[in-house]
Amino acid sequence: MILLCGIPSEDPLAMVAHALEKLGADFRFLNQRQVADYSIAWQIAIDKVDGTLSLGTETFRLADIDGAYLRLMDDRLLPELDGEVEGSPARRHARAFHDALYRWLEVAPGRIVNRSDPQGSNGSKPFQAQLISQYGLRVPETLITNDPDRVLAFQREHGTLIYKSISGVRSIVQTFGEDDLARLEHIRWCPVQFQALIRGTDMRVHVVGQEIYATEIISNTLDYRYARRNGGSAELRASVLPSDIAEKCVAVTHALGLAFAGIDLKITPDGEIFCFEVNPCPAFSFYEANTGQPIAFALARYLANHDHS
Amino acid sequence: MILVICEESDGGALWAANRLCCQGLAVAIITGADLATAERWVHRVGQAGAVFELDLADGRHLSGREIRGVLNRLSYLPADWIQRVGGVDRDYAIQEMYAFYLSWLHSLPGPLLNPPTPQGLCGNWRHPSVWVALAGRAGLVTPTYRQSSDDDPDAFWNPAMVPAPTTVFVVAEQVIAPPMLPEQLQNPCLRLAKTAGTTLLGIDFTLNTAGEWCFVGASMMPDLFRGGEPLIAALAEAFAA
Repeated sequence: MILLCGIPSEDPLAMVAHALEKLGADFRFLNQRQVADYSIAWQIAIDKVDGTLSLGTETFRLADIDGAYLRLMDDRLLPELDGEVEGSPARRHARAFHDALYRWLEVAPGRIVNRSDPQGSNGSKPFQAQLISQYGLRVPETLITNDPDRVLAFQREHGTLIYKSISGVRSIVQTFGEDDLARLEHIRWCPVQFQALIRGTDMRVHVVGQEIYATEIISNTLDYRYARRNGGSAELRASVLPSDIAEKCVAVTHALGLAFAGIDLKITPDGEIFCFEVNPCPAFSFYEANTGQPIAFALARYLANHDHS
Repeated sequence: MILVICEESDGGALWAANRLCCQGLAVAIITGADLATAERWVHRVGQAGAVFELDLADGRHLSGREIRGVLNRLSYLPADWIQRVGGVDRDYAIQEMYAFYLSWLHSLPGPLLNPPTPQGLCGNWRHPSVWVALAGRAGLVTPTYRQSSDDDPDAFWNPAMVPAPTTVFVVAEQVIAPPMLPEQLQNPCLRLAKTAGTTLLGIDFTLNTAGEWCFVGASMMPDLFRGGEPLIAALAEAFAA
């Protein structure tokens, strides 16, 4: 059986459920909004992980769950807990259930998309860039510093720069401009990440097990994810990667311990390919909806272990 | 030069640094307070790899060129730095600095005991359930682990202390074990450290009621004093490799 964890109406989860239905696979939603009716108990004994999961009126043996797709939201922010004071029985139960669930998912055998630990590398862009470059994908020239003079030297070396957060928080790309120059001294408080601007075409690559789906994005804005918000546009179309780059994308995904990833590439006008990051929990629905690429179906087949090595 | 990175309160790390000096190794200690007051950070990542320059307030200048190995005992951001950060952007600044330290520590050359991870700057601060699972898979006798939605999640991070557990140290490919522990524990201990991605690991054991040495827990920041001179010799050998 396959477990789909999160809010069932959320697009990626709903699309994978639809694909699993088409496959005829046995699956259940673990709907976080019904956590009050759920319970879990599990154990590790002599190297075997097992236990039971009760979802309302149904109870399942954990050893019978072969795969899980996780799109869990922060349980503390569940609408059902609005108005519940800190430490209330409902909040305590929600927290205890989710903790026990997360802990089981970390050690459970089976196809978990994705476990929590391997997702961590995305929390530090330059750390992840070091891992990515080990697998042969080129990463943008990056400087992290609290020294304004080094930023100016880096700008002389590379021309136009962008800056963005080092962590995964507030990760919006901005061009380093005149206004920023005037407040450059502020970086002495905390190192800031600058990158050489890479001009070219954005490419989002979804890796599912051994399968790969490349989407080309034609946009007139610096960060296409925010094109509409910034008055720009973004057009998406299915694409094909050179085979060596496709292999490297699969290799880096697996090396990071991920079964499913969304990799951000940029292809320069002279054909160079740069990798910006590997997203461990990609909201693929945006790309599938705009291109028709069967990413949800690939994910469903991976979870159900159909046609996947 | 061997770099020892630790908080000022880490007596074990300071002792190890001193003992490594006595073995003839050039050792530099950088404390959390040193890092908290660092005047200049430059860290680059790109096609040529990752490099850094660090200017400390006491006038020391560091870069990767002179480092031959690192004893990394910084589990989180330096306490002195965290105390200095305030205001509405405090949480953001902490996230940013953690992400920065993770990348910087990962870029340090030479044997790195231990490499940083997103879940801990001197190694993955794993949940006890994960350690039990890994230890079992490595072939160690483990206690039964149970968790349910009726349990307080915080309680698992503070398990009841086992009186005077016996600690085995794994340093790179070496195992330093007290003489009363059977030799057949060595390979499972090596497997556990390798699976956990650690190059310095303390593994605690206790005798169970069946008379077997049973896994109790593991730490990437073991009490180095307990390893004594054999541990220092293993560290020196690891840095010489």
